[in-house]
Amino acid sequence: MRLLVIEDDKDLNRQLVSALSFAGYAVDSAFDGEEGHFLGDTEPYDAVILDLGLPKRDGISVLENWRRDNRKMPVLVLTARDRWSDKVSGMDAGADDYVAKPFHMEELLARVRALLRRSAGLAKSEIECGELRLDTKSGRVTVSGQPIKLTSLEYRLLAYLMHHQGRIVSRGELVEHLYEQDFDRDSNTIEVFVGRLRRKIPANLILTMRGLGYCLTNQSPDA
Amino acid sequence: MPNSLAFRLFVSFAVWSLLVLPVTALVLVSGYRSQIEIGFDDDLSVYLTYLIGSTYPDKGTELKAPNLGEARFLLPLSGYYWQIKPLGVPQPTIIQSESLVSEVLKLPSELGVNPDAQLIRVAEVDGPDEQKLRVMEREVSYSDGDQQQSYSYAIALDKSGAEEAIYDFTTTLILNLVVLAGGLMLATFFQVRYGLWPLRDIGKRLSAIRSGEAERLEGVLPQEILPLQEELNALIQSNAHIVDRARTHVGNLAHALKTPLSVIINEAQSSNAPYAEKVIEQASLMREQIDHHLNRARIAARSGIIGSVTPVKPVIIGLANALERINRDKGLRLIVDCPTDVKFQGEKQDLEEMVGNLMDNAFKWAQSSVRVTVAMSLSNPKLLTLSVSDDGPGLTEEQRVAVIKRGRRYDETRPGTGLGLSIVADLAHLYQGSFCLEKAAEGGLKATITLPST
Repeated sequence: MRLLVIEDDKDLNRQLVSALSFAGYAVDSAFDGEEGHFLGDTEPYDAVILDLGLPKRDGISVLENWRRDNRKMPVLVLTARDRWSDKVSGMDAGADDYVAKPFHMEELLARVRALLRRSAGLAKSEIECGELRLDTKSGRVTVSGQPIKLTSLEYRLLAYLMHHQGRIVSRGELVEHLYEQDFDRDSNTIEVFVGRLRRKIPANLILTMRGLGYCLTNQSPDA
Repeated sequence: MPNSLAFRLFVSFAVWSLLVLPVTALVLVSGYRSQIEIGFDDDLSVYLTYLIGSTYPDKGTELKAPNLGEARFLLPLSGYYWQIKPLGVPQPTIIQSESLVSEVLKLPSELGVNPDAQLIRVAEVDGPDEQKLRVMEREVSYSDGDQQQSYSYAIALDKSGAEEAIYDFTTTLILNLVVLAGGLMLATFFQVRYGLWPLRDIGKRLSAIRSGEAERLEGVLPQEILPLQEELNALIQSNAHIVDRARTHVGNLAHALKTPLSVIINEAQSSNAPYAEKVIEQASLMREQIDHHLNRARIAARSGIIGSVTPVKPVIIGLANALERINRDKGLRLIVDCPTDVKFQGEKQDLEEMVGNLMDNAFKWAQSSVRVTVAMSLSNPKLLTLSVSDDGPGLTEEQRVAVIKRGRRYDETRPGTGLGLSIVADLAHLYQGSFCLEKAAEGGLKATITLPST
């Protein structure tokens, strides 16, 4: 899952990026409205954390622009202006949730998880696929109740596939959603990670659709 | 004495007319009287001259009775009298008009009146038949050789005719002046009312501004109060600017403080240092204090400003959209029962703050549904009642009391600053409204606020 953090305070930006990275997301960051708008407009983020009081361009107008251009990723608005009129105008501009500063990082992480879950159409914080189980809250992955250890990129890969169960996910899409913007991307590494993941979870869950990509599913393709 | 412009204008006019009108009456009456008297004395003088002329003795000093050719000198007690009386004679033989019927006229000389240059004396005396007479008397001396005799010639006319004319004139005059005064008072009354009508109108329009029905003093006003209108509009505008500025400053302060505070809290949370816990605790206290005082400042920036009117339903719809979006995965049902014409007399942001906090709480706790009901108060048409209820766990009696108090949060594990309900209470009281919590019919909490309406 790849996220974008737009926050002009350098310290807070750093804290958000590090907390979100620690929670297993690929995170890009922007420090002003223009840069943030550009990134959100050009990169396929799974969710955006947007501060409203930004230099160069305010958050509301960035958000409105995205929505006008049909950018549908969930957006969590983060602001010190916590009056209801601010909240309502934020939601009217197209935000999906609202966190007022100062906030507890756990609360923000919970809201982000909820946004991602919701946009994937899932109801619970635990995602299942056969014997495989992913607790998005704790980041724990279990197979038949036995915890398994994953590296951070393996976790990202699995989490993305779990959130998009039953859908064919192309390698290009995986690259875009698993790596930060300035990461040296090579779609061949995806194959390596899928291979490693298959060794840790029941291998038949990840199907390779030749020429199309991968699909995580509990059902056999013939069924 | 009432402190009113109309009263002042009216009284000053009344005092003026009370002074001027009697003086006018006095001047007119005395002028008329002197005209009448001059005419009267002219008549006396003509008759006297004629009497003297018609009795001039041919020779010697003996007089013969004259004929003045005026019938009224012959009619008894007609009020036209003449009398000639020899002077210096022990038993004078008085010749007089037949109208006197042997009564004797009292003479001015006998009353001690001094003669003027023509030896004429004038006096008012009582005549026969209780008549008021004006008598003109002149002494004339005749001499023939060494014989000399003086006579007193007198003409008397009844004054009552003249007095009656003066009396009639005076009454007519006074009557006319009273009518005039009444008419003038009435005219002044209307003049004052009409003249001061724009002021009365301004009063109405100002109260419309105060109640929020108008934003500025509109309309074409008379030249004299045009500066007042301009100044008032400028004042209203600057008032709005000050409030706006105060709000912006408060908002900026919030932004400026809260971001660093977020950084401090987050930094401390990711640290294992022994002071980290203390930092988190203190930073959380700071955050509560900031929230509390920012809200007080916002409220203070608002109190006493010129009001506005906010339709209630759009505010609820806007909040409902936002809250349903935030809480969409809870699958709650929101029931809004609000007539479209209910208006809150106050600021939109304040209404949003109160209803937003109440609805947010309800959404946080509800199991399946949230109900928002708005109605005009049955007992007072100037009040509206807004209640938000949920079917959540609700609160006990003591919890309800405690939760309204500042900063108390019933459940620390759920997000929120815990200030929500105390802000609602503060704002409701600021608008002279009320706030109460009770058990909802659905089982959860029911929060009700009453607010001023128009």
